[in-house]
Amino acid sequence: MKILIAIGGKEFSKPTLDLGMKIANSFKSSTTIAYVGKKISQFSEKDVSVVHQNLDDRQLYRPGIRTLEWAYDFLISKKYIEETDTNKFDDYLLVDEENSRMKVLLKEQHSDNIDLIMRTGEIIEQLKDEVEVNKHDITIIGGGGNKGIHNKLIQFIDSAVFVVKNYSVSKKYKILLPVNDSKGSEKAIDTAINFAKSYKLTVEIVAVYENKKSHEKTDKLLLRTKNKFLKNKINASTKILEGSTVNAIVDHAKDDSIIILGVSPKNPIMKYFFGSKPISIAQKCNCPVLITK
Amino acid sequence: MNESYKIISSSILFWFSQKKWFVYSILVSIFLLNLSTPIGLSIPAYHSLIILVLVFMLVTFEPIPFPAIALLTLVLQVVLGVAPPDQVASSFMNDAVLFVMGSLMFAIAIVHQGLDIRLARFIVFIFGKSKRMFLAGLMSISAILSSFLGEHTVIAIMLPIGLSVIKNIDTQQTDGKNAVLITLFSIAYGTIIGSIGTPSGGARNVIMINYLQEFSNVHIDYWKWMKHAYPILIIQLIVAYFVLQFAFPSSLKNIKMRGYKKNVENRSIKKDINHLFSCLIIIAIIASWFTFNDIYGLGIIALGGALTFMIFGMITWEEINKNTNWGVILLFAATISLGFQINETGASSWLVIKFNELLNSLPSNSMNVSWSIMAILSGLTANFFTSSATVSLIGPMAIELHPTDISFALSSAIASGFSFLTVISSPTAMIIYSTGLVSTKVFFRVGILMFIISILILYLMSQFYWVTL
Repeated sequence: MKILIAIGGKEFSKPTLDLGMKIANSFKSSTTIAYVGKKISQFSEKDVSVVHQNLDDRQLYRPGIRTLEWAYDFLISKKYIEETDTNKFDDYLLVDEENSRMKVLLKEQHSDNIDLIMRTGEIIEQLKDEVEVNKHDITIIGGGGNKGIHNKLIQFIDSAVFVVKNYSVSKKYKILLPVNDSKGSEKAIDTAINFAKSYKLTVEIVAVYENKKSHEKTDKLLLRTKNKFLKNKINASTKILEGSTVNAIVDHAKDDSIIILGVSPKNPIMKYFFGSKPISIAQKCNCPVLITK
Repeated sequence: MNESYKIISSSILFWFSQKKWFVYSILVSIFLLNLSTPIGLSIPAYHSLIILVLVFMLVTFEPIPFPAIALLTLVLQVVLGVAPPDQVASSFMNDAVLFVMGSLMFAIAIVHQGLDIRLARFIVFIFGKSKRMFLAGLMSISAILSSFLGEHTVIAIMLPIGLSVIKNIDTQQTDGKNAVLITLFSIAYGTIIGSIGTPSGGARNVIMINYLQEFSNVHIDYWKWMKHAYPILIIQLIVAYFVLQFAFPSSLKNIKMRGYKKNVENRSIKKDINHLFSCLIIIAIIASWFTFNDIYGLGIIALGGALTFMIFGMITWEEINKNTNWGVILLFAATISLGFQINETGASSWLVIKFNELLNSLPSNSMNVSWSIMAILSGLTANFFTSSATVSLIGPMAIELHPTDISFALSSAIASGFSFLTVISSPTAMIIYSTGLVSTKVFFRVGILMFIISILILYLMSQFYWVTL
C-alpha cells in the first residue's frame, strides 16, 4: 500500500501527519510526505525558480524546506523514524524531478519507506498528478482551509481520500460505517475491516431508512455486514437511522468517530454540479472522514 | 454505469474545473462578437477590443499557458479581420520585444555570476554603521541597481542577502517578525521603486517609449526619461523608508548584518576575474544604453550584454535557455502587436472619445481629472494584470488622450510600476511572497499606503517639476 500525506503550515499539519503515519505504520506501507508550495504566476515562475536555485547555492532554505524539516523532526520525535546522531536535516539534496516535483534526499536518511517531496502549483492538480504517477492508494489531507479543495480531491483524485478533521491523538476512536447496496459501500466495508483489525477499533455499522419500502433489504445488508466483521473477530454493532441520509449520519457521528464511506456511484457530471452524499457528509461532519474508491 | 463513460466524463470535468476561465473567456468573446458593432467603431476596431477583453481575462486568470495566449492573440487578429497576416507578423517583433528578450537573458547571465557575495560586503562596508543605515542601504542599492538592470535581476541578487541576515530570527515574537518583514520589504520596495528610474528598469518603460515614437513621433532618450523619473524615485525611496519604519516597528536587534559571510564560498582568483569582468560588461552595457540608445536601440544593447557573457564562456546557452521565460517574451510580443492594431484600427481613439464624453458628464472636468483617472487606472490595472502587459494594452489609449503631451504617457508607464498592492503584479512581489514569510494581506496593507502616496508624488511632480524641464 502507498500513502500520500499532504501537509501545509506547521501548526495545522500535526494531526494529519500523526494519523497518516499511524496508518502507514500499521499497514507497513511506503509513505510520501508532500508539501505543495504556492502557485506562482506564469509571469514570475522562471524568476522565482532562479531565486530558489540561488538560495540553495547559498545554503539558505528555500520555501517549503522548513516545513519538510519540521515534518521530519516530528517523525523523529514520535519515533516514526529512528533517531541517530547523524540523521539530522542539516545536509539535504534537492532532486529536481519532472512536473514541478522535487525530492528531498537526506544523506543519513535511514528509512526507505518515507519520501519527502515538494511540489509547486495548484494543489488539486499537483496532488492528482502525484497520485497518478506514483499510484498512491490513500491521500491524507488536513481538514482545515478551503472546503472546496476536499470536494475536488474526493471527486478527481484516483485514490481513497482521508480528510483529517478535528483529530486528537489522545482520543479513543471508533469506526462509523454507513452502508448501502452500492459498489462503493462494499469497498468501504473491506477498508473498515482492515482499519479495525490494525487499530483494534470497534465498529458501528449504520444504515438509513430513507423510505418505507426498503426496510427488509437494508436489514439484511446490515446483518450481512455485521457478520463479516464478526468473522474477522472485530467488535461490531448495528444501528438504523431515519431521515435524510446526510443529516442522519452527520447528527449521529460524534467527535470520536472515524467515518468510512464508499464513493458515490452517481454520474460524475451530476456530482460536480450538485455534489454527492459522501461529499456532503465529509463537508458537514466534525470528525475524520475516509472516502474509499 | 459504464466505467469508460465515468473516466471520460471525470476527465472532462477536471479539465473544465482547471480551465473554466478559458471557457468563460471564450463565451464572453462569442457573446460580444454577436452584439452589433458600437456606433463610430469599425468592425476590425471592435474585434480588436474583443481580443483585448479576452487577453485581459486569460492573462489575469491564467487558465492556459502564456505561449498559448500569445498564439491565440495572433491567430484571432488575422481570423477576425483586425489586420492582414503580414501586418500582424511585422508588428510582432520590435525593439521593445528584443529588449524584453535581451534583458531576461542578461539578467540570468548576471545572476549566474554570484555577484551577491561581493555586493553584500560592499553594503556592509558602506552602510554597516547601524542596522537602520544597513536597511536604508539595502533599499537604496536595490533601487539604483534595479533602475538600470531591472527588477528580476536585482531581486534575485538581493534576496539571498536579505534572507541571510534574518535567517535566525524567531518570527513568533512581534519584534522579530517585524525585523524580518522590514528587511524583506526594504529590498522589495527598493527594487520596485527603482524600476521606474530609467527605460531599462522595466519592459513597460521601453514599450511606452516605442509607442510614443510610433504613434506621436515623440522621441524620449535615456537621459530624458531619467530626468523625468529619477527625482520621483528618490522621493519615493525616502517616503518608503519611513512608511516601513511605521508599518513594522522593530528594535532590529536580531538582524545579523554579517550573517552573509558564513555562506560565502572560498575565494578564488578565477572567481575574482569573473566578477571583475562581469562588472565591466554591466558598466559597458549601461554606458551603451546612455550613449548608443538612439542608434542601436535598448533591445539590441541588452542582447549584446547576454551575447558577451556567452562568448566569453561565463554562462552557457543551456543555462540561459533553461531559465529564460520564453512564454513571457511571446506574450509581450503578442500584446504589443495587439496594442498596435488597437491604435491602427482607431479603437483607441474611439475609447478616448468615450472616455472624454464620460468626463464631460462629470461636474468638474479638467486635464487633472483625466490625468488622475488614467494614472490610477494604469496603476490599479498593473496590480492585477502585471505592469508591462498593462502598458502594452493601455499605452495606446494613454497616448491618444493627449498625443503631444508626454506627461500622460510617462505617468501611465510610471504608475504601472507602482506594484505595491498585489503579489502577482511584479516578479519582485511574487518572489518575496514565494518565501512564505510575507502574506498577501500584509503586502496589501502596507502597499495601499505606498500606492496612494506614490500616485500623489507622481501628480505633484508632473504638475510642478515636469513643466520646468
